[in-house]
Amino acid sequence: MIEDTKLLVVKDLATTFATAGGPLAAVGGVSFDLGPNETLGIVGESGSGKTVLSRTIMGLQPRSNVTVTGSAILNGFEVVGASERAKRQIWGTEVAMVFQDPMTSLNPVMRIGKQIDESLRVRLGMNRADAKARAIELLELVGIPSPEMRYQVYPGQMSGGMRQRVVIAIALAGSPKLLMADEPTTGLDVTIQAQILNLLDELKDRLKMSVILVTHDLGVVATRTSRIIVMYAGRIVEMGSTRDVFQNHRMPYTRALLESSPKVSNPSHTRLTTIPGRPPNLLKLSDGCSFAPRCAYVTDRCRSQRPELEPGEESGHFFACWNPLPTTRGVRSS
Amino acid sequence: MSELLDEVSLVERPEKNKPLGVLFWICVGWITLNIIGAIFANVLPLQNPLFEDFNAINAGPGLHHLFGTDDLGRDIFARVVYGSRVSIAVGAGSMLIGFGIGAPLGMLAAYRRGRFDAILTAIMYVLLAFPAIIATIAVLSFWAPRSLLKIILVIGLASVPLVYRVIRTATMAIATKDYIIAAKVQGATDGRILVKELLPNIAPIAVSFLLIGIATVITLEGALAFLGLSVNPPTPSWGNMINESRTVMAENPWLVIFPSLALCLFLLGLNFIGDRLRSHFDVTEVKL
Amino acid sequence: MLLGIIFVISVGSFYLIHLLPGDPAVVILGTGATPQNKAILYRQLGLNRPIYEQYFTWISNVLRGNMGTSFISQTSVASTIRAALPIDVELIVLSQIIAFATAIPLAMRSARKPDGPLDRILGAGSFTLLSVPPFIIIVLMVLFISVKLGIPHTGPSSYVTFSTDWIVNLESLALPAVTLAIGSFVVYYRVLRSDLIATLQEEFITMARSKGISQRRIMWRHAFRPSSVALLGSAGVNIGGLLAGGFVVQYLLAIPGLGYTLISAINMSDYLLVQGIVLVVSVGVVLINFIFDFIINIVDPRISRE
Repeated sequence: MIEDTKLLVVKDLATTFATAGGPLAAVGGVSFDLGPNETLGIVGESGSGKTVLSRTIMGLQPRSNVTVTGSAILNGFEVVGASERAKRQIWGTEVAMVFQDPMTSLNPVMRIGKQIDESLRVRLGMNRADAKARAIELLELVGIPSPEMRYQVYPGQMSGGMRQRVVIAIALAGSPKLLMADEPTTGLDVTIQAQILNLLDELKDRLKMSVILVTHDLGVVATRTSRIIVMYAGRIVEMGSTRDVFQNHRMPYTRALLESSPKVSNPSHTRLTTIPGRPPNLLKLSDGCSFAPRCAYVTDRCRSQRPELEPGEESGHFFACWNPLPTTRGVRSS
Repeated sequence: MSELLDEVSLVERPEKNKPLGVLFWICVGWITLNIIGAIFANVLPLQNPLFEDFNAINAGPGLHHLFGTDDLGRDIFARVVYGSRVSIAVGAGSMLIGFGIGAPLGMLAAYRRGRFDAILTAIMYVLLAFPAIIATIAVLSFWAPRSLLKIILVIGLASVPLVYRVIRTATMAIATKDYIIAAKVQGATDGRILVKELLPNIAPIAVSFLLIGIATVITLEGALAFLGLSVNPPTPSWGNMINESRTVMAENPWLVIFPSLALCLFLLGLNFIGDRLRSHFDVTEVKL
Repeated sequence: MLLGIIFVISVGSFYLIHLLPGDPAVVILGTGATPQNKAILYRQLGLNRPIYEQYFTWISNVLRGNMGTSFISQTSVASTIRAALPIDVELIVLSQIIAFATAIPLAMRSARKPDGPLDRILGAGSFTLLSVPPFIIIVLMVLFISVKLGIPHTGPSSYVTFSTDWIVNLESLALPAVTLAIGSFVVYYRVLRSDLIATLQEEFITMARSKGISQRRIMWRHAFRPSSVALLGSAGVNIGGLLAGGFVVQYLLAIPGLGYTLISAINMSDYLLVQGIVLVVSVGVVLINFIFDFIINIVDPRISRE
């Protein structure tokens, strides 16, 4: 069956936080899958639930006051409901995460070489000499010059781009099959951003990994992913191949998102279009479509009934909207 | 996880601006009760704390003597209430001196900087290096005769360097903030800035430290009593009551228990109030 | 900087004797002030010389280990101090071992499950203990032990040195060590717990978790070190305080450490001894603070780089 070759199968995954204001559904009912050697982009604004989703898929959500329902099977291992001890078996070796801010995700008082070593010695059981050699190899792999010297330094002594490379090196130490990159370039200089993303591309091909790229920046996913998931208020609102999502999107939110990102091709002094309104308060979700209050195409049905994902014309393309944009298939791209 | 924290901050930081709570007000009430008792001891319906009733030595608690009597027949309850005078006077008086001198100096030094600050701070830091407790003990034992006033004075002066340091550090943290510079640029006089901008922002830290200070000083008085350096008998103080009880503990445990309870509960009340105020105003723990 | 402070302390200690009213020689000699003794003392200390010369004489003697001979007890001040100091050291070491050995694991447990049952109990308990001064702890403990359990509390010290009989030594120091440990424990537990909780929220802890590392390792190797800065800071202050302030405990239990000796010296008007102890203790406190600052720098390199 096709299912057997999938690296990751997510079904009705939902993450709810118990807050002082009531239960907060950060992620509500997400389903998708991912094959080996695929790159998936998960896109959305702040508060869309994309970060919570990425952590929940790995089982890395906080341990208290959180409930996870549904299923997420990673290479045959069911993450939802697994004990911390069981999850530790897959962390680092099956799946690894690259975090957003390398200054806070690296231990500031530990030398970076040791931080890489840790994965190798604790998880893979290497001895000290082997681990050090491998760590230096990894540093080279991620493009850090003079790796033997850099092995000894503290994170604070490196530049932002270098640090992020170290984070990637640590993530790769266990040769994971899935790399979860949560906003890996936000906060870095624009030029460095491109470098890091290219590095990820290269590594993905070389090491035959799948990558999930979580970001709010559409520019990042445009050329580097094969498929895209668009999230809003904790749910998937559109999903499909990158081409379909960019060129034949049906859900108005996707359009709004595309239109609000600045493009170099725009003439100078073009006003940035913003999406009016604010992201919804997840504590008080209404019955209808979560985007209804801000949607230019809203209908009465949108306000009262929440749309489910329905297939579009192309295979693999889904969207959730009662009043979708007309398809551009067969028409020249916008 | 920044986007996460925005939504879940309700769970992450429940401490800030937490309502003070019932227990807080109970403690405030308790402390107030003690203070009232201390001030109005004279007019309250108490036994005479100095009267030695040889018919009732080491009596247990009862109707006539609420807490019993000590080995000289004196009413423990009355002595405890009168004893609170010493503790409260020492606590309030010394901190008044300590803050009265140390706080303005600290604020001024932190605000003005320059030579004034450098010299004063150097002096204070050297004074701080001298263990204050030893100095207090030495001075009090050499400077006879002892009186409550002297004790308050000595402890008060000994606390000045520490108050100075804490207030100065706190002021420095605020004085560099932008809104102070903004006020200066607008032409506000120094005095005005000190009073209207700095003072309100120092207040939470200062009050928190004040309460800790009072508790510490009261404990110090207790310790001094054990060394025979507190007020002279027969004046009761919680400290010397506990000290005197050591010899007759076996026959009359009440003599230990009641003043100890009084002291500990008072300190507990102070500490609790200070702690709650601190977490309510979200002040970082004052490092002594 | 350090030397500057020590210098000023030495001047202060030196000057103490001159602060007292009256002829310093009479003050030192006390009741045994015969004219011959006075003359000897005058020559020894150079009391008719200008004050700074006196200081130099004194400080050069001190640096050579000679702090004078007490006329009250007829023993050299230096040897008295030398006999008493190890007791303080042992007491401090014992109490700190107990305090750290209990505070660190318990703080870690509480930090892992904040507001859990253990955390609440320890929180309330430690807060209450904060309000109980050490002398009350001792008095109550003695009350409990001797009255309830019927073990008589001997008056004078039953202390013997470690080398003589280590069992009795530890027995005699048990009560004061535990009492001092309680005070230290409360501070260490609260400080470490709150720092650990803060550190555990940091992103690099989640990252470490995502590497598949065990909870224990995360706690000890990642969370502990950054959180220990404040702990070390309060340890420095605390231990310095113990050196200077542990004497109430010593006095109550007749343990002949520096504190006890100081109080007796004051009571007996043995001012030379007082002077010597004040000097030693003050310098000791300063040194301890200095050492701890140094250790903190090693633990958290960020501080030195700032």
